[in-house]
Amino acid sequence: MSMEDYDFLFKIVLIGNAGVGKTCLVRRFTQGLFPPGQGATIGVDFMIKTVEINGEKVKLQIWDTAGQERFRSITQSYYRSANALILTYDITCEESFRCLPEWLREIEQYASNKVITVLVGNKIDLADKREVSQQRAAEFSEAQDMYYLETSAKESDNVEKLFLDLACRLISEARQNTLVNNVASPLPGEGKSISYLTCCNFN
Amino acid sequence: MYGVCGCCGALRPRYKRLVDNIFPEDPEDGLVKTNMEKLTFYALSAPEKLDRIGAYLSERLIRDVSRHRYGYVCIAMEALDQLLMACHCQSINLFVESFLKMVAKLLESEKPNLQILGTNSFVKFANIEEDTPSYHRSYDFFVSRFSEMCHSSHDDPDVRTKIRMSGIKGLQGVVRKTVNDELQANIWDPQHMDKIVPSLLFNLQHAEEAESRSPSPLQATEKEKESPAELAERCLRELLGRAAYGNIKNAIKPVLIHLDNHSLWEPKTFAIRCFKIIMYSIQPQHSHLVIQQLLGHLDANSKSAATVRAGIVEVLSEAAVIAASGSVGPTVLEVFNTLLRQLRLSIDYALTGSYDGAGSVGTKIIKEHEERMFQEAVIKTIGSFASTLPTYQRSEVMLFIMSKVPLPSLHQAVEAGKAGENRNRLTQIMLLKSLLQVSLGFQCSNMLTALPSSFLDRLLSAALMEDAEIRLFVLEILISFIDRHGNRHKFSAISTISDISVLKLKVDKCSRQDTVFMKKHAQQLYRHIYLTCKEESNVQAHYEALYSMLVLISIELANEEVVVDLIRLVLAVQEIAQINEDNLPAYNRCALYALGAAYLNLISQLTTVPTFCQHIHEVIQMRQKEAPYLLPEDVFVERPRLSRSLDRLGPEVFFRQSKISEVLGGSGYNSDRLSTPYVPQLTGTCLPGASRGAPALSRPPGRPRAQRPAPRSADEDRLSKRKSIGETISLQVEVESRNSPEREERAPAEEITYETLKKAIDSVAVEEQERERRRQVVEKFQKAPFEEIAAHCGARATLLQSKLNQIFEITIRPPPSPSGTITAAYGQPQNHSIPVYEMKFPDLCVY
Repeated sequence: MSMEDYDFLFKIVLIGNAGVGKTCLVRRFTQGLFPPGQGATIGVDFMIKTVEINGEKVKLQIWDTAGQERFRSITQSYYRSANALILTYDITCEESFRCLPEWLREIEQYASNKVITVLVGNKIDLADKREVSQQRAAEFSEAQDMYYLETSAKESDNVEKLFLDLACRLISEARQNTLVNNVASPLPGEGKSISYLTCCNFN
Repeated sequence: MYGVCGCCGALRPRYKRLVDNIFPEDPEDGLVKTNMEKLTFYALSAPEKLDRIGAYLSERLIRDVSRHRYGYVCIAMEALDQLLMACHCQSINLFVESFLKMVAKLLESEKPNLQILGTNSFVKFANIEEDTPSYHRSYDFFVSRFSEMCHSSHDDPDVRTKIRMSGIKGLQGVVRKTVNDELQANIWDPQHMDKIVPSLLFNLQHAEEAESRSPSPLQATEKEKESPAELAERCLRELLGRAAYGNIKNAIKPVLIHLDNHSLWEPKTFAIRCFKIIMYSIQPQHSHLVIQQLLGHLDANSKSAATVRAGIVEVLSEAAVIAASGSVGPTVLEVFNTLLRQLRLSIDYALTGSYDGAGSVGTKIIKEHEERMFQEAVIKTIGSFASTLPTYQRSEVMLFIMSKVPLPSLHQAVEAGKAGENRNRLTQIMLLKSLLQVSLGFQCSNMLTALPSSFLDRLLSAALMEDAEIRLFVLEILISFIDRHGNRHKFSAISTISDISVLKLKVDKCSRQDTVFMKKHAQQLYRHIYLTCKEESNVQAHYEALYSMLVLISIELANEEVVVDLIRLVLAVQEIAQINEDNLPAYNRCALYALGAAYLNLISQLTTVPTFCQHIHEVIQMRQKEAPYLLPEDVFVERPRLSRSLDRLGPEVFFRQSKISEVLGGSGYNSDRLSTPYVPQLTGTCLPGASRGAPALSRPPGRPRAQRPAPRSADEDRLSKRKSIGETISLQVEVESRNSPEREERAPAEEITYETLKKAIDSVAVEEQERERRRQVVEKFQKAPFEEIAAHCGARATLLQSKLNQIFEITIRPPPSPSGTITAAYGQPQNHSIPVYEMKFPDLCVY
């Protein structure tokens, strides 16, 4: 369709404890900024970024959720339609890592069963304050069958890689599962995303 | 596609040229109006081109957005809006798709202006009613994005407000667009409701914060515009107003969760505000669903802090009042059962100090005063639910609550030991408080059905009399039942006023049902009052309640017989104080004297028997002179001056039974009955537990009057009356209590036959004169020889006969029922008259 300004549209939702750096990751990726005194997110935040992968325009709708408990009900409602979830923890905060099983339960409960989950340990620039070892996290992610990556929003380490890798994975998943790529009449407001990931299962 | 418009304009399709022409050279100039008219005309005349126009416009718009040419973006949007408004036709569908794509594009932008622009267009679109909307449209993204905008945290507060307002308007638009169409994306699905409702609440909730900021003059002008909170409230009302039966649950659940998550139950103002909005905007026939959900939520929060539970209960109470008659829905008892269960749980928590009864580690500390507050809130809520119920359901509820009151020696297992007793007592108090709350303002027209024996028996059982606090509740409950004309507050203080007309009492005549009720239960009530008087732990409140109770019975339920009984009762109470076999302290004795004085003063004025009033007045005056500590004015003060020489009082300060029966007997009251001293009696079915109060019943064997048989003449008279027609005899049944052998010494008060029992239950009170007249008639017919009666009747019958013949000759028409007319006119027993009529009637019947 000539009208579309993208070939793929994916919805990505960031989740994790409050203060682990979800908003900073998104800002770094979408705007190339690292806002130093970033306040707590209220409810949900929305960002959009179009990237080009192998000549294909991929539009990423990024929903950045509040980590605070009080917004849990509204944030949960955003899991359902997500194509991918970025589960973030803070490598300098043991507590944020220990909460991960709880987050996985939430994902299990609210997200689609075809969702791709990526485990991200943020704040590797604060290596001297590290509380969660890379190995531990890697083992955990393996056990849970998740992709795993460590990032630093401040130093911009692995942030591009995180989103671009995720986009690649989403594209290949979409290709694998959808033979009919050029579905007629994409839904307004939805782009083509629904037809990509909802009609078949691939687990 | 990237060619500048105009350079090869002639080669382009017509619609593209028309579209290009609406854009000015300089975006500052705005939409080219004349060209827009041309485009609109073209679109209207060739609707099949509309979708292409839309596609092309949106293509231009997307390009302009990415090139940051926002002036052209606005122009494109304006053009789209105008086309949308102009083309109310079926071909709009494809056009709408390009339109929505453009709105989505604008909403994706980070620029607040574009977001607002997009939202405004969407709202315009939402207000268009489409005949055949496209069913594969999905508003998922819109709902998500608008909800997100509702939570905007833009740095500039003005921009933030604008974005939030846009978000709310957008949600309103989505709701309008989809809510009425079942084939559309179901907006009521949890996935949408869980976004929409919390977003609205979030804005609603921040109203207070915004208002609490010091209002500068600048803000005052801003106020004139609608705030996000007001808008959110309107939107919420609209949403809820459209909710059908099946959708209520999905709409209310996010509210409950939101209040949980933001811990908004505790200050509860917001929670109450929310539910007021809900209750007022929801369709009234669904309001019970909301109540049910709140109850369910209360159950789910059984183990939350008392303050949270109290908040929920408070909200329930408010909601119940709003929902009024429909609040309880079909499951009345279920509602009360839940509330009572919570009450019990709370009592347990307060006693054990933990939520699971085991006191395990890690449980939250339970603050007793918070539990107490919760309990009060539950009781209040029970009251507000009850007040919405019709009378018959209310008495049902009262029976239900009463059946939950733990009473010893019934089937209910009552825990032994001190802890168990304590729990019992607390439960009793709480349930009685609930009962009192339910009975407040309860106006039963028929006491008999409102207060069946099963209820009264339990309420008046001895187990509820030992504890002073509980005893007071029982009295209060009885008072609020009996007081149906709002007289009770007029007697809240005991006094001997010389003129009761200042009280402006509202009195209705005692109805037939009331009379029957008193026939059935009066003895039980008297006995309760009598025994309560004897309790040593009574304080002023008890005496005041006893006074109110006596007075209210006299006002509401009394016929002559009851008045007589009440006077007897009060005299017996005076005797308690006089003889003082229970060794009551001086205060109690004085209080009893004062109670008697106050009541007799009032009843004497109610009966309006001058001699009675005079006697009472004399005694009161004597007391004022000799023993002011026997009058309420001196006893029921903060520091009563009591006399120790209560046993050396002269007879003139007491009310005398003989005197009273003399003066009242002169005014047609039953003086025989009056001169019989009152003895508490067990009537009707009594609880096994009631015998616990038996020792209090026993009178000392040396009492001379207790066993004194009534005078013979009175007995004879009574017996002869019993044979007469329509005679009523009050029921005085002595049920021998197996547990109190002392009572057996006493001779049975009266002969009981099946006849008397039957009459006592069936018959209606007949006025004394009427009774007397009948007795004379019967006597005459019994004693006089038949001939005399026949002659008497015959003479009258012939007179009538001739009169009738005269009339019939004039009218020729036969009377419908001559025999009926005649007997009625005579008012005499038929069997005596029949022979006379039989002789004459055949002639009459010829007509």
